[in-house]
Amino acid sequence: MSAITTQPAQPQPQVDVQTPNVLDFLRRLWRNYYVKVFIQGLITIWAVTTFTFFMIRQMPGSPVEAKIDELMTRQAMTYEEAYRATATLFNFDPDRPLHLQYFDFLSGLVRGDLGDSITKGGVSVTSIILRYLPWTLFCVGMALVISFSLGIVMGLAMGYWRGSWFDNLITTISSIISGIPDYIMALLIILIFGVQLQWFRIGDVRGGVDPNITPGFTFEYIASVFKYALLPMLIYVLSSIGTWTLSMKSSTISTLGEDYITVAKARGLSQRRILTDYVGRNAMLPLVTRLAISVGFVVGGSVIIEEMFQYPGLGRNLYIAISGRDYTTMQGIFLVITAAVVFSNILADLAIGWLDPRVRLGKQEES
Amino acid sequence: MKRLFLVVGLLILVFGVVALPAAAQDAPEGTWLGTWPYSAPGTHNLNSFAAGGLNDNLGTVYRVFVELTPAYYMYASDEYFGLLAESWGFNDDATAYEYTIKEGAMWSDGNPVTSQDVVDTFSVGRILNWTQWTFLDSVEAVDERTVRFNFQEGGASRNAERLILKEYVVSSANYGDLAEQARQVVADGKTSDDAEWQALSTAIEEFRPESLIASGPYTYSLDDVGEAFMTLHWQPNSVFSSTVKFGDLKLWAGETEQTTPLVLSGELAHSTNVYPPATVESFAQAGIRLISISRGYGPVLLFNFTVPPFDNKLVRQAMAYAINRDQNALLTNGLGASGTVYMSGILDSLSPTLLDQSTLDALDHYPNDLDAAAAKMEEAGYTRNDAGKWVDADGNMISVEYTFPADFADFSAAARDATAQLNDFGFDITERALPWQEAANAIRISDFDLSVWSWGSASPFAYQNFNNPIRRWTVQLAEDQPGLKLDISNIEYEGQTYDLNDMILNVSNGLDTAEQHERADLIAKILNEGMYYIPLNEMLSVEPMNESSIGGVPADDDPIYKNPTGSDHPMIYLIFTGVLYPAGM
Repeated sequence: MSAITTQPAQPQPQVDVQTPNVLDFLRRLWRNYYVKVFIQGLITIWAVTTFTFFMIRQMPGSPVEAKIDELMTRQAMTYEEAYRATATLFNFDPDRPLHLQYFDFLSGLVRGDLGDSITKGGVSVTSIILRYLPWTLFCVGMALVISFSLGIVMGLAMGYWRGSWFDNLITTISSIISGIPDYIMALLIILIFGVQLQWFRIGDVRGGVDPNITPGFTFEYIASVFKYALLPMLIYVLSSIGTWTLSMKSSTISTLGEDYITVAKARGLSQRRILTDYVGRNAMLPLVTRLAISVGFVVGGSVIIEEMFQYPGLGRNLYIAISGRDYTTMQGIFLVITAAVVFSNILADLAIGWLDPRVRLGKQEES
Repeated sequence: MKRLFLVVGLLILVFGVVALPAAAQDAPEGTWLGTWPYSAPGTHNLNSFAAGGLNDNLGTVYRVFVELTPAYYMYASDEYFGLLAESWGFNDDATAYEYTIKEGAMWSDGNPVTSQDVVDTFSVGRILNWTQWTFLDSVEAVDERTVRFNFQEGGASRNAERLILKEYVVSSANYGDLAEQARQVVADGKTSDDAEWQALSTAIEEFRPESLIASGPYTYSLDDVGEAFMTLHWQPNSVFSSTVKFGDLKLWAGETEQTTPLVLSGELAHSTNVYPPATVESFAQAGIRLISISRGYGPVLLFNFTVPPFDNKLVRQAMAYAINRDQNALLTNGLGASGTVYMSGILDSLSPTLLDQSTLDALDHYPNDLDAAAAKMEEAGYTRNDAGKWVDADGNMISVEYTFPADFADFSAAARDATAQLNDFGFDITERALPWQEAANAIRISDFDLSVWSWGSASPFAYQNFNNPIRRWTVQLAEDQPGLKLDISNIEYEGQTYDLNDMILNVSNGLDTAEQHERADLIAKILNEGMYYIPLNEMLSVEPMNESSIGGVPADDDPIYKNPTGSDHPMIYLIFTGVLYPAGM
């Protein structure tokens, strides 16, 4: 018979079971590359926004003073007339402490409220951005796509057939036009083709669309939108295509020296395949980052060009806001530009990883 | 047969009587092609009192075409021309001012313009702290068309008259409720420090009329506001609807840079923008007629009085002698400027009217005289060093900065030329170009040695002329802004101390012209002797007037061109009276 003996209770060994908690979850989340990049982006936006908030308020002249100076100088008003026309009209209290203005701004921002324009009573900054952003995105965005695409194709051809007449001609033209500022180009086009040669009526290319056409998804309206965007787009394309072309040419030449191109040629692959799959794809990589940055800056438009053509874009509004010291509108537009630049950089990062597996691998190892 | 003729005759008569007035009310043909930097669609509203409203969008030149003022001032004859008012004047003891609205004056909604509209206008203005309420006690309707403005003690003046007669009148149909609330707030004894007053001020600012009710011959809706241009359309109910000759006023958006090509291409007939001399020359070469009117101001050299040696009157006088103002004018704005002659503190175009001839003769006109300038410098204790530069007893040169707004072509040209001339004379001045907002702010906060801004005013009164720049940059500033750092309440002149601030404030008070002259004469002498600022030149507004679009443009010597730009711009009178018409009419 066996005796049943009772073993004294042994202390249970501690089982190393990880209890899920918030901190661990956050730690794991932080290790995720995409989340990390996204949060870094948000922090960058907050930092830039805070910086610009304080910087623009350090600009000399308050909205009220700027308006009085403007009215006296440009409208020949007396001081009393200018003061009266200005002082009571602005929704702005210059004596409110700066830190309270900042907290007002932040609390509004959290609620998605960018406040009202100081100089345009009762008009919200969000409505200004929503009204004008699409025009800039369309015009500058379309121009960027065109100049990038054309620049890539021409640069590729120039690099591949280096020294040809085509290469020499386009290199010369690109060098010249990339050295001319866009506003000079716009002025020349207006004065030569509009005033001297009278190929078009200057008034007919101002604005965003023919005001006599009822807005709607009609051929007439869309055609008018394209017509009015044509000249600004042409100027954006002309002023930026030279840089894309020359950069792509340079990148192509450097890629052509790689061993895998020699191997591809030795394998007897068609010229077209070598050009597109081997040279083009690899030569384009350095330009993707620049494209992403450019996409970010699309949002800001081109201040001078939009002003010259009275194009209803965000850049023109930024110019007006800066001139009038409209802090809230400036703040809102800077926020949108900052967000666009930050997130387009993130997208560029991701796109590079997608295009170039070596970069993706590096990131995985890092994380 | 006879009866048939009779019936036909009667019918013709009846239709004629009915049809003729209708024909007279047809919109005129042709379009006025002007420009104004109005607010873009989306930020544009039809509130007469708010930012982004009529004042911003139509400015001093075009607003009167939709909202009439009682009168328009003619500089050549020193008389008012009635717009909304048919008669006006002070009462016998100058305790009140009255004007009567023209019989038949109507709003675009078909209602008559009444004295209640005027009372409501000023009731709303009171909440907005209008200048008029610094001298007015009350505004009341005497009858359907007559309004009385009761002055505070000593409030009557010709300046007060102007501020009453130049105020745009708004419709009670739009603003009556707000005006009623305004009167209630005042009746309750509230002041601008009270929450009720401030809340009403905000309500006025936020009010958005659905439509514009116009008393002028033109009106518009928000649909007429485009990105590139806005259009004011003729309306039949105004007292001026039958005299104006343009069916539309088309206003291109933009400033000088945007409007220049439009002028050259003939798509813009008249512009009030400031064009640089080279652009004006290109207009002339293109065959575009140019008219010159006073701009009501010119560039002035301003001193920081705490920066030596500008606290020394002799040095300031020497500088006035050393600068060739005719050259400065030419470089400032080509033929569109003239060197200051009288140095009286009042524009040359107004000095003979506002000052006595004996005073004008007695003033030092500071002709360009380098010997006289050198003598003043030596009297101030300066000598020339080997390099020809003026140095004080310790050998210090006058090394200072001249701040100017880089983006104002006229002011920057004036400042740069003055710098060059003074350096040639023996100063050591460095140019400091800033964006215009920063340049203005530098004066406010005293962050400058020498600077440039405007002097004079497009006003027919001595007060506004003297006010700019000396009061504007010393007392009309925030508490923490020292400006020129000049104590204008203690100014020495011929052994006596004067409160120049007080003197300028009161110079145009009262109705006695002789007394006003006497006060203005003394101020002119004080300013002239002390040279507290150097008025470099008086600018003209050289404005394109394309006669291929506009007919009837008066000859260059027409008295109407005595009027300056601003709210008394000659075009206002010429359009209202039908002198100007579409070319080819």
